[in-house]
Amino acid sequence: MGSSSSERKSAAILEPTMYTASMMAVVVLILLAACADLCDGVTVVDVYRLVQYDLSGVPFGSRFASLNHHAASSLFSPGTAAASGGDSAAAADLSRTVLILPLRGLNLTLIREYIGQRKILGGLLFLLPSIFNPENVDNTGGTDDVPAEGVSKDILVELERLLIHANVPFPVYFAFEHDDINAVLADVERTDVAGQPATATTGGYKFVVAAREPRKIGSPTLTNIQGWLPGLKADGDSNQLPTIAIVASYDTFGAAPALSVGSDSNGSGVVALLEIARLFSILYSNPGTRGRYNLLFGLTSGGPYNYNGTYKWLHSFDQRLRESIDYAICLNSIGSSGDKLWVHVSKPPENEYIKKIFEGISSVAEELGLNVGLKHKKINISNPRVAWEHEQFSRLRVTAATLSELSLAPELLESTGGLSDNRHVVNEASVVRSVKLVAESLARHIYNHEGKNINVFADDSNLAVNPSYIRSWLDLLSRTPRVAPFLSKSDPLIVALKKELTDHTVEVNVQHEVLDGLFTFYDSTSGKLHIYQVASVTFDLLLLLVLGSYLIILFSFLVITTRGLDDLISIFRRPPSRKVKTA
Amino acid sequence: MTVFHFFNCAILTFGPHAVYYSATPLSEYDTLGTSIKAAVVYLVTAIVKLVCLATFLKVSESDSFDPYQELLKALIGFIDVAGLYFALTQLTHRNISQNHKFQAVGLGWAFADSVLHRLAPLWVGARGLEFTWEYILQGLEANANLVLSISLAALGSLMWLRKNKPKTLIPIIYTCAGIVATMPSITSYLRRGLGWQFPKVVGFELFTSLVMAFVSWQLFAACQRPSS
Repeated sequence: MGSSSSERKSAAILEPTMYTASMMAVVVLILLAACADLCDGVTVVDVYRLVQYDLSGVPFGSRFASLNHHAASSLFSPGTAAASGGDSAAAADLSRTVLILPLRGLNLTLIREYIGQRKILGGLLFLLPSIFNPENVDNTGGTDDVPAEGVSKDILVELERLLIHANVPFPVYFAFEHDDINAVLADVERTDVAGQPATATTGGYKFVVAAREPRKIGSPTLTNIQGWLPGLKADGDSNQLPTIAIVASYDTFGAAPALSVGSDSNGSGVVALLEIARLFSILYSNPGTRGRYNLLFGLTSGGPYNYNGTYKWLHSFDQRLRESIDYAICLNSIGSSGDKLWVHVSKPPENEYIKKIFEGISSVAEELGLNVGLKHKKINISNPRVAWEHEQFSRLRVTAATLSELSLAPELLESTGGLSDNRHVVNEASVVRSVKLVAESLARHIYNHEGKNINVFADDSNLAVNPSYIRSWLDLLSRTPRVAPFLSKSDPLIVALKKELTDHTVEVNVQHEVLDGLFTFYDSTSGKLHIYQVASVTFDLLLLLVLGSYLIILFSFLVITTRGLDDLISIFRRPPSRKVKTA
Repeated sequence: MTVFHFFNCAILTFGPHAVYYSATPLSEYDTLGTSIKAAVVYLVTAIVKLVCLATFLKVSESDSFDPYQELLKALIGFIDVAGLYFALTQLTHRNISQNHKFQAVGLGWAFADSVLHRLAPLWVGARGLEFTWEYILQGLEANANLVLSISLAALGSLMWLRKNKPKTLIPIIYTCAGIVATMPSITSYLRRGLGWQFPKVVGFELFTSLVMAFVSWQLFAACQRPSS
């Protein structure tokens, strides 16, 4: 009887124990939520990766994306003669270090040597002034801080050119100056000056970008958008009306694809095209003012890659349409302030038609106070390099010219909207003037007003150029990076451009093509940098030592106070005495 | 080396409990069962406290010190004392002397407190790359808590288990018990109302725990003298 009652008692004790055990899980979770105060003292910064691409199989750009190293701020350990650049004996071992370099006071020659000699770094992080941040649009086209900005801009352009054409075997990232990261940089510089570069044993800052291996972008698409405004056909006239084409390429390329907004190259051209389309759509909506020319507006992609998109677009044309094109005007970078514009042609200037077009443009330019020059560059069919968009037309024997503020033909991947090309370098007034120039000369040609002093798009008329339209589109384009391989077929920008052309023109066509196999791009263009302040291994070991001794002292103290000193001694004497016994 | 850091903080937080158990005669008398029972009672007490807090307390937006809320929290804190009373008096313990009973109960109580309040933040936070002093300070706080729990258990056993106490000492015993029981409220007042930083608060806790331990030790010894 006694055993059964004790059994019942133990069962009675066990049941609540099991019940509380199951409640324990719930309690623990709730208590943790109530008691836990998890702190995150980590700084997180948006960073943008250097472009990675292959050109005919040759690799360029930064080949790695993930980063997990300690931070340092100079290429050389202090105390050595920094004048002896490239002296590998004096340079510290930086293969497991990330260098954080602000753009101000950047030593380009040192970097050029470092990259040229293909030395291995843990990573590079360039800190750019916040004025280059596309999201920072406080002052539009402001002129304050211009001298300092001019110097930084030159350095940035040089740096960009260096990095795009180099094969860099470590991750390179760009970030913008911000309070958090400036504080980190100041700390890192201070410890570097003190002579202790950060490694695993001395503590410091650790930079981590968690990114997976960059993958090739298979079949990148080029999207060409065209708008068609038909002219007025006379009754009984079955011939095809002549066509005038106005073309601009809208995509960009730069050192950081996530930052390539290309406000001037070629955001200004796109905005000008849209405004010209808007003006002519007003004219053409009324049959009384519709001209006897068809107007074809083309927003092409693939500009930086030898105008590949334009090539594919032209080759998709009907033979009759191509033959009906009277001439084409291509717009490229017309937004920077300045009174000089250039008309680039590939047919010799003595050509009658070229003369006529140029005279038309320069007479309007005179009235507007602009200075327009003519530049002739022969095309070489065997050379795959296409420097201007009009050359693609010329190769198909269509008369074309490019209007641009650039006087020299850009090299491959140059002037395609890089890091320094953002909202601040574009001047609305210049774009307005360029729009007036092109629209007015087109109108005089279409309506046969050449030589007459008639202002079709006069200010204060309902055909005036609308500066706020231009401003809003410039702002939008200056916030949207537009590197073609990273724009999908249904990208919001492409949809917006298509919708805008649909508003202004009668017929819109979108053409999707695949970028030629010459260029291969890799993804992973941006990421988040986590900056951790880490303690060194020596600190942890020291702490372990301190804690170990604390526990031993506590143990001895408790043994002495509760059991007596003899017990403590006997604990330590026991093993030897046992040995004595067995021996 | 962040698992290293977690290991360091873990031995700082939980090591003293194990050391206390093995160093004092508790291990010789095998009082582990008592400690475990005390830990379970602490869990139940924690659930009850949480329910009361959820029912009676308003969630305040700011982190400032509200006297009425703190008073309510202190009152709910006395549920802790009730739990300790239950653990000391109502549970059936094996035949162990009073001396060891309160130590075992206090140890179990403090261990459960450390595990519930400090293990999860430690596991999640100390293993990260970022280094803070937070977890080392938390470990020191756990040490102070251990001493306080044992003192409270000692005073509790004096109040409820010992029948013949010198008359003069009774009010001192009750005031000391009151002080130790309201320690959580005092520390939260220091942190919120006076705005003390965490290291300062931990230092204060360590100091007061040692003082209260000494006082309760003297009281215990004084009460033991008439009977022995």
